[in-house]
Amino acid sequence: MGIAFTAGKYIHWGVVSISLTNFLIIVGMIVIFALALVLPFPGAHQQQPQQHKPDEDES
Amino acid sequence: MSAPASDARERSWTSAVRDHVAGLVPEGQALPDRQPAYVSSWIYVFGVATLAALVVVVGSGVVLAMGGAAWWHTSGLGHFVNSVHLWSVELFFAAMVVHLWGKFWMAAWRGNRGLTWVTGVVSFITSIGAAFTGYLVQSNFDSQWISGEAKDGINSIGVGGFFNVLNTGQMLLWHVTLLPIGVGIIAVMHVILVRRHGVVPPLDDEAEEVAR
Repeated sequence: MGIAFTAGKYIHWGVVSISLTNFLIIVGMIVIFALALVLPFPGAHQQQPQQHKPDEDES
Repeated sequence: MSAPASDARERSWTSAVRDHVAGLVPEGQALPDRQPAYVSSWIYVFGVATLAALVVVVGSGVVLAMGGAAWWHTSGLGHFVNSVHLWSVELFFAAMVVHLWGKFWMAAWRGNRGLTWVTGVVSFITSIGAAFTGYLVQSNFDSQWISGEAKDGINSIGVGGFFNVLNTGQMLLWHVTLLPIGVGIIAVMHVILVRRHGVVPPLDDEAEEVAR
């Protein structure tokens, strides 16, 4: 019984059932993804533009 | 006399393997110290974060293997190493999924990078199998419940005759040998392909890439 009581909270939405912990982790991953797109990368403004062309070495 | 000896060297499998390995990536691209300007973005960090997590996963797994499957139940150190193993796996998957999202939305299969994308997908699927067998070998009620539920799912897709998720010994050996070797080989292939073709540029640079 103790295990059942500590199984955690679940969110139910129609046929979808997900634990609150998993839901928050997914939300956190989406937030991290969004931040990765908008936050400036340290030192990015100091670099000179250059092109990396390894494919040119292939036939 | 020197010509036949030279021919023999050219025909040897050793020299063939050497030439193949040397040609896997363009010269200087195996461990490059400079990258294109567009790589200076946080979205390009998650691939190497996945690799870093994988190193911790494998390292903590090796320590766990030395202690044995039940070590973490009876030892504080074993419990700590087990937790490092678990949370490095969580980070591994979180970083890999964010990496997947980033590469999907920048259509990372462009520029002859289709095989890079496919090896990433296969690596993801193989990693799910490795993580799943990890949950099956916890030797507790959690693993008992997961294996009982998984047995029905595995049988329903018709592959239950090839392996038995209720067989803890079989799943433990898959977890510590078969699947890590599979993930490792595919991950190495994926990294070699990334180094071979270079990091995919942003979509707004596509016209420039097509031109060259």
